[in-house]
Amino acid sequence: MTIGLEHFLVLGALLFGVGLYVALAKRNAIGVLMGVELMLNAVNLTLVAFGRFVESEVALSTSVFVVFIIAVAAAEIAVGLALAMVVYRNRDTINVDRVNLLKW
Amino acid sequence: MDGVGHHLAFWSLAVITVGAALGILVSRNLIHAMVMLILSFIGVAGLYLLLSAEFIAVVQILVYVGAISVLMLFAILLTPRAARDNAETAMRYPGLILMGLVIAATVFVALETDWGAVREEPVTESARIIGQSLINEFVLPFEIAAVLLTAALVGAVALARRDDEDIDAHEQSLTLEGREDSGGSS
Repeated sequence: MTIGLEHFLVLGALLFGVGLYVALAKRNAIGVLMGVELMLNAVNLTLVAFGRFVESEVALSTSVFVVFIIAVAAAEIAVGLALAMVVYRNRDTINVDRVNLLKW
Repeated sequence: MDGVGHHLAFWSLAVITVGAALGILVSRNLIHAMVMLILSFIGVAGLYLLLSAEFIAVVQILVYVGAISVLMLFAILLTPRAARDNAETAMRYPGLILMGLVIAATVFVALETDWGAVREEPVTESARIIGQSLINEFVLPFEIAAVLLTAALVGAVALARRDDEDIDAHEQSLTLEGREDSGGSS
């Protein structure tokens, strides 16, 4: 059995599921950001696998998409960590279930 | 991709990547979870190499392993009084159910869909093609990404820095307590 597109797609699905659970269920805000990063990695892996295996004129555009996703992920993580620092400075905690200022 | 080396590389990288991701899931310590995340990033970079996407693999190492991981480690170290225990919230069991459903649905779609013609030989010189498309057809998104990165980093600095005026006003109110001229220009 050769290593094909399906192998990488299933691997990406597993990574995405684990990342989804981590982002949903972790209490620490930085742990939530870790889950988001895992999900982005899974999507990137899936895109690169499609670009490698699918016969198409525009297949290599997937690599350009991946570069853009990485750039936006870097911006997102910088802002997210800055927000976590601000919340920590004001509330002395970054547990997402204790930051309930906007809850009525 | 049916050589012994391909099989060995894929299965070992897959075990490393998914195993490290599961390590984040079960780890009780946030620092350990961060190290597991770095291991998972490195495994994904190896998978990119296996997929003949050398440029993406190098970018993955530089940006994720080099920059984002260090940023997150610093954020963990700069929040010392926060809980480090990486515990779950009440969303634990709904999260598990949703994770199972998402994985099942995606795997089903991945295995049941006919993905069409498969390219046997990978495209070589992917870095050259990426570079040329970035300055030809994707030049506008490229510039927008530059503006986005600048705005995000300036915004992150503006969020994270202490508000000097607040500190000055606080100190002045402490030292000038009791005086009548409270309308100072700070």
